[in-house]
Amino acid sequence: MSAKRLEEYKRDLYRCIHCKACKFSYSDDPSRKGPGEYKGILYEGMLKSCPSGINYEWEGYWNAGRVWIARGLLEGTLKPSEAVRDAIYPCNTCGNCSVQCENWIDTVGIIEAVRATLIDAGIPLQDKHALVKQFTVDNNNPYGKPAEARMDWAKNDEDLAPMLDKEDVTTAYFTGCTASYNQTSIATATTKILKKLGYDFAIRTDEVCCGSPFFRVGEVDFAKGLMNKNLENFGGYETVIYSCAGCYRTMQVDYKKHTKKDLPFKGVHAMEIVAQAITDGKITIKSHPDLQGKTFTYHDPCHIGRHIFLERKKALLETSKNMFLDSRNVKKIKAEWFSIPRTILNAIAEANDAKFVEFYRNQEESFCCGAGGGVRSQYPDFSLKTASLRLDEAEAVGAEIVTTECPFCWRNLTDANDKFKHGLKVMGILEMLDQLDLIEYT
Amino acid sequence: MVDNIGHAYTKPNENDLEFFESVVGRANVSANPAIMQSYLSKSVMGLESTTPDIVVKPKYTEEIRKILVHCSARKIAVSPISAGLSGGFACPLIKPAGVLLDMQRMNRIVEVDEDNRYVVIEPGVTAGEIWSFFQKYHPDWAPPIADGAPPAATIMGDAIERGFSLITSSVGPQGENVQGLEVVVPRGDIIRTGTWALNGAKPFYRWGLGPEIFSCFMGSQGTMGVVTKAAIKIFPHPHAKTIVAWAMDNPYDMQDLTLEVSKKEFGISHNCVMVQGGNWPLVQTRFPKEKVPHGYEFWEQQGIPQWWMNFEVWAQSEEEMEHVVSEIDRIAGEYKDGGKAKSPDSIKKWELHPAQIAARLKKPNKIAIAYSLWEAGFLFITWYTPWKDCAEFSVMYNKVLEKYGFPPVMWIASIERARQAICMPIICFDSSRPEQLDAVQAVNRETTEMFLPRGWINYRPDPYIHAPMTYAMAGTYYKYLKMVKEMFDPNYIMHPGRLCLP
Repeated sequence: MSAKRLEEYKRDLYRCIHCKACKFSYSDDPSRKGPGEYKGILYEGMLKSCPSGINYEWEGYWNAGRVWIARGLLEGTLKPSEAVRDAIYPCNTCGNCSVQCENWIDTVGIIEAVRATLIDAGIPLQDKHALVKQFTVDNNNPYGKPAEARMDWAKNDEDLAPMLDKEDVTTAYFTGCTASYNQTSIATATTKILKKLGYDFAIRTDEVCCGSPFFRVGEVDFAKGLMNKNLENFGGYETVIYSCAGCYRTMQVDYKKHTKKDLPFKGVHAMEIVAQAITDGKITIKSHPDLQGKTFTYHDPCHIGRHIFLERKKALLETSKNMFLDSRNVKKIKAEWFSIPRTILNAIAEANDAKFVEFYRNQEESFCCGAGGGVRSQYPDFSLKTASLRLDEAEAVGAEIVTTECPFCWRNLTDANDKFKHGLKVMGILEMLDQLDLIEYT
Repeated sequence: MVDNIGHAYTKPNENDLEFFESVVGRANVSANPAIMQSYLSKSVMGLESTTPDIVVKPKYTEEIRKILVHCSARKIAVSPISAGLSGGFACPLIKPAGVLLDMQRMNRIVEVDEDNRYVVIEPGVTAGEIWSFFQKYHPDWAPPIADGAPPAATIMGDAIERGFSLITSSVGPQGENVQGLEVVVPRGDIIRTGTWALNGAKPFYRWGLGPEIFSCFMGSQGTMGVVTKAAIKIFPHPHAKTIVAWAMDNPYDMQDLTLEVSKKEFGISHNCVMVQGGNWPLVQTRFPKEKVPHGYEFWEQQGIPQWWMNFEVWAQSEEEMEHVVSEIDRIAGEYKDGGKAKSPDSIKKWELHPAQIAARLKKPNKIAIAYSLWEAGFLFITWYTPWKDCAEFSVMYNKVLEKYGFPPVMWIASIERARQAICMPIICFDSSRPEQLDAVQAVNRETTEMFLPRGWINYRPDPYIHAPMTYAMAGTYYKYLKMVKEMFDPNYIMHPGRLCLP
């Protein structure tokens, strides 16, 4: 069995001392104050925050145990098997474990490499993952919907139709599969906001799935095929704008990793554009009756939150010649990145006499919604239980509305909200801005 | 299956698995190879580790009793772990493997008694969780957590392995804080120690009904039985706290200055709950080897002394705290100018930034776990010496480290007002390279051969180097230790091979 994909992580694997700090959020802030006890969980100090460890409880379902499983595969003392698969795949790849690690271990990279190793060894994908792959083989999207219908959301809108395959522009909007087929309001909201802000951009009809589901579940070669198509089709642009957290993460992080070179374009998330427009005074936020006096919170999606923070932290490590001095910049990296959605949300709160409260676990310490890493499709019960835990936390901080900016987070939190009757409202920020007409363009 | 002493054990089979399932429930027993692999650890305090055959997660004392009786009859090896941590798995499973008892489901904080000043905990209670609990519900009291071990370490593990607590420099090792234990032994008995041995009595006094057997379990590395509850002292948690640090260019002045302060008991050194220091590589090796300067010059520019000692002061009031701080400074100044210092000009107060003070006051913390970043792995090989020997220990050990190409990283802490030193060389190495593992073992062997004859003892003797050499020099003690082991564990099933037992 070749463990070549794990060789890349050899140093990471040998750095693990099994200290288990990775089980928690706030492992470095044990005296942190919080809202107190709610539904049997004490939201103070350190808190267990690995969804699969919490759910399955065995050491092999916590990151520290998984790292040693990975090391066993690398050393050949553990053979690839369905038993290994069953321990490794119920992982959201949320990356909280990596944030906690004092030895800077790339836990997400390791889990994905283990999954790829299992696939290389002939361990079959589980049924839902295999189905998603087949859908994408057939139609370039994991939902199994017709490839030719991908951009119907724009074709059928007279305002947006002219943007389709527009030429002589330097910017493109990457829609993503979920916004193209299932949550088209995200795409509509984003493109309309961009247009009103004066952006001229193309919407490519030859866009294919970014490959995120397949990078996550270990189908790396298949994902790279999608990657190459997208790089070919979008490589001529200076800027690509995203609204999907998963697509942003995949194209800005995974594409760079797997091509081993910088992307030909700059990637920007639509939230960055909106936040900057607020800061620059180009837009102000209006009030809306649905938001007046409400208390809302923000769920930091793993892909557009923690993962990007970790990526930037890693870049600092790679380029640094003096980590003692440069590690002091980590706080700055964190502040710059996580302030983006908060600039928007604070403006919404101010305009509506509303209250923005943070989750107890927020920013890089955020607790996963339970959807990512291929978990939602293959382990729906575990996935929704995790989302429900997150909504309990929203209740604990007194929120009535949970905002987020990731279609998967939105979907999973919404489904858990309904299934477990939390009675909250779950809203995407970009959709909220558009559908509630919150933006005043100055 | 054979342990490292040559005793034969039975490998558990399907029938044993079914038995365990009948005791704790199917969901709490596993023989899944991936799960078994996940319990490995080869770092921090032990380089040798093997995968268990079966992992069982009990929740109740009676479950453990049934498991031990069964395994004793079948001669199946059993090793318990609470979190197994002292920065990483501290007593990893070794041959002959057998059953690993993962005690994490036994995680209750059973009782907090603020008048008799103890807390009763189960094995799975972690430092981080009990800290949050106390901050919320008993904010005037400090739970007996480890200092240095990471937040996922357990109170139980730290206590019964005589680790150091956040107040060790004042009151002694965590073992001193144990008021009573509840232990299940393979004979099938549940033993309580101290006053707890008397039915209905509180665990208010460690020395109980006669000759006290609790010591047999302390430092036993799981070889005598399974500790299922511990009553451990709690201490007042005052809000006046600070850190005073003094710097010098050699370990002898670090040692002697600290001793001068520590001898001022009943007022000064009793307030110094954690007195610990070390040398500048302690800072350097928290970063990747190729990403930081190696010469001292850079660190000197950053204000890092060559050697230092921190005094963490707790006091009932700001006035008391300021008095203690000024006394420490006065004593240190007198030491510096008193003609006995080796390098008086180098001795000066290290003015700490408030952020540095806050970081050092943070408990529990992760200060001991970043050393893997230097290369890929590290080992604490920890020793106890009389306080007055810790400087000599540092010099000797660092020489050996440098001989084998390792950075000379030394961390020293005071126990019970500098009656003892816990000396913690940190060997930072690349654990992916077999030749480095060999070099680490060579360091370990060479230093053990040098140090045992000097009367310095290993904090947690490993089974292959420390224990055999130590007991070769303490034959009578070892003879009685084996008899004690047989008293509790007649078939030698408990963590066989540890401490050369049986």
